[in-house]
Amino acid sequence: MSGQQTICGIDLGSRSVKIALMQQRIAGEGLEILRLESLDTIRFYREYGRKHGEKLAVNFEALGLPVVDHLVSTGYGRNTLELAGGDAIPELKAHVMGAVYQTGLKDFTLVDLGGQDSKIIQVRKGKMIDFMTNDKCAASSGRYLENMASILDLTLEELGQYSDAPVELSSTCAVFGESELIGKIVEGFPLTELAAGVNATIVKRILPLLRPFAGEALVFTGGVAHNNAVGKLLEAGSGRRIVIPIEPQYNGAIGCCVEGLETRA
Amino acid sequence: MSKIGLTTTVPVEVIYAAGDTPVDLNNSFITSSEAMRRVEEAELAGYPRNVCGWIKGLYSTALRNPEIQRIVAVTQGDCSNTHALMETWQVEGIKIIPFAFPYDRDPDMLRLQINKFMEAMGTDWEGVNRQKKRLDQVRALAWEIDRLTWEENRVSGFENHLYQVSCSDFNGDPEGFAGEMQNFIQTACKREPLSDQVRSGLRGKGREIRLGFIGVPPIFPELYDFLEQHGARVVFNEVQRQFSMPFETNDVVEQYRLYTYPYQVFQRIEDIATEIERRRLDGIIHYTQSFCYRQIEDLIIRKKLDCPILTLEGENPTGLDARSKMRLESFLSMIGS
Repeated sequence: MSGQQTICGIDLGSRSVKIALMQQRIAGEGLEILRLESLDTIRFYREYGRKHGEKLAVNFEALGLPVVDHLVSTGYGRNTLELAGGDAIPELKAHVMGAVYQTGLKDFTLVDLGGQDSKIIQVRKGKMIDFMTNDKCAASSGRYLENMASILDLTLEELGQYSDAPVELSSTCAVFGESELIGKIVEGFPLTELAAGVNATIVKRILPLLRPFAGEALVFTGGVAHNNAVGKLLEAGSGRRIVIPIEPQYNGAIGCCVEGLETRA
Repeated sequence: MSKIGLTTTVPVEVIYAAGDTPVDLNNSFITSSEAMRRVEEAELAGYPRNVCGWIKGLYSTALRNPEIQRIVAVTQGDCSNTHALMETWQVEGIKIIPFAFPYDRDPDMLRLQINKFMEAMGTDWEGVNRQKKRLDQVRALAWEIDRLTWEENRVSGFENHLYQVSCSDFNGDPEGFAGEMQNFIQTACKREPLSDQVRSGLRGKGREIRLGFIGVPPIFPELYDFLEQHGARVVFNEVQRQFSMPFETNDVVEQYRLYTYPYQVFQRIEDIATEIERRRLDGIIHYTQSFCYRQIEDLIIRKKLDCPILTLEGENPTGLDARSKMRLESFLSMIGS
């Protein structure tokens, strides 16, 4: 053994559970990603989780994961469920650590748009100094995009191709937004403009949250960062440089691994 | 002697001077084990879903207490939902006594309002001034509990909240309430400082995080214990403290002018800034109700106060939700590092 360490980071999201398996081959060197996996949240709890006292025991064998040196979790489940045999860290912290690791930046504003959550975090010298999250409403989330894509009969990837001439969608509710979109379809707008309208709606909700946070770079993470049009519109709307890490969706899980390495070191 | 309902703090000296008993409906609502049921009852009666939970709770609470035949409703200095609340009560046969705090804190207008209030209750200045002396003695005990909270660290955030918030009506029994506070002070004085006991669940500062809670009292008082389990304690409850009228004045009109809650946000901000300094606060939780106009004022508060601020939104008395917990934890981890 030459100080080799394997760390598993788990981000218990509202819509999906993200797992990152990372390894440090030689002490003092950086982490490398061995495996990334995403599972539907409900399926994860049903098939692989079991309540053990106050904690959640995860059947790692069934998940096909090896025995690891350290397990760190974060996310929605943190308040209600702590993973047995591991440490839990606050969600926003995990995202900051993941973003610093993935981009190498120390000063930036992190925009994480997930399944139900929107988070804006101001990072200075690698530390969170302020943040805002959505509350009581999930209109600016991935779930909204999923709903709208299914109405337009597009895949999420296809939906993310359109940013030009967006139709005006005013509804502030992800559910009522559906009927509004259907109304626009009836009015005869082309699919490209409808899709652009959906993408623009997300950005319209995020820009006011972003306003108090000055700076140059915007690190964009979460599942929504896979939507190219949202990134493009966000860049245009904020006038800031957008940096999307290689694994935006696994940012929180990767942050857990980074934390795991730091606390063991 | 009859029970007079209150929708928020009003010159309660007037009610005691008239020989009646004030009942702060907020306190009756939130301490009920069926608080959420009260909200649902109001919704069944036709109150919209997207209206403040306190308003709905007050509506049903008053109707469930038939001995409350008259309610003082604050028509200026609190939210405009109160207007419709008064009217829906009126329809149910409850007599409404309106009271308005003048927005510009004009002393003549305030005196006139108190005069009208006294007239409606059937009392005079002599009686009111006598009650002020009586109640100030009780208030002094609440001030001492507040001091023990931030200066000697012997009182928890919830205890601080509870005793101060109860100063809106003195639980209908000032001397009884005073006795309760005296007993509490005796017990608290014997305690070890809580700041040493609070287990720091956080790395970093390695000491208790001192927080201020600003805005209306929370609809989920569980918040205080949650914070203490995570290494932080509320040592300043802004509006609750205002209910205890911590002002050096013998004049009733001046007392209710110094009271910050019903007027412009700027006077509140001045008070908060002084206390941030005096109580050495590490951060502020700005609590607002869902759908409340005070959510707009959040942007002014953030601009004017130089202190880390978490804006926390509460809707119904259903406990602290997972999202709020996540946000609180992140806030504590941020200011604790």
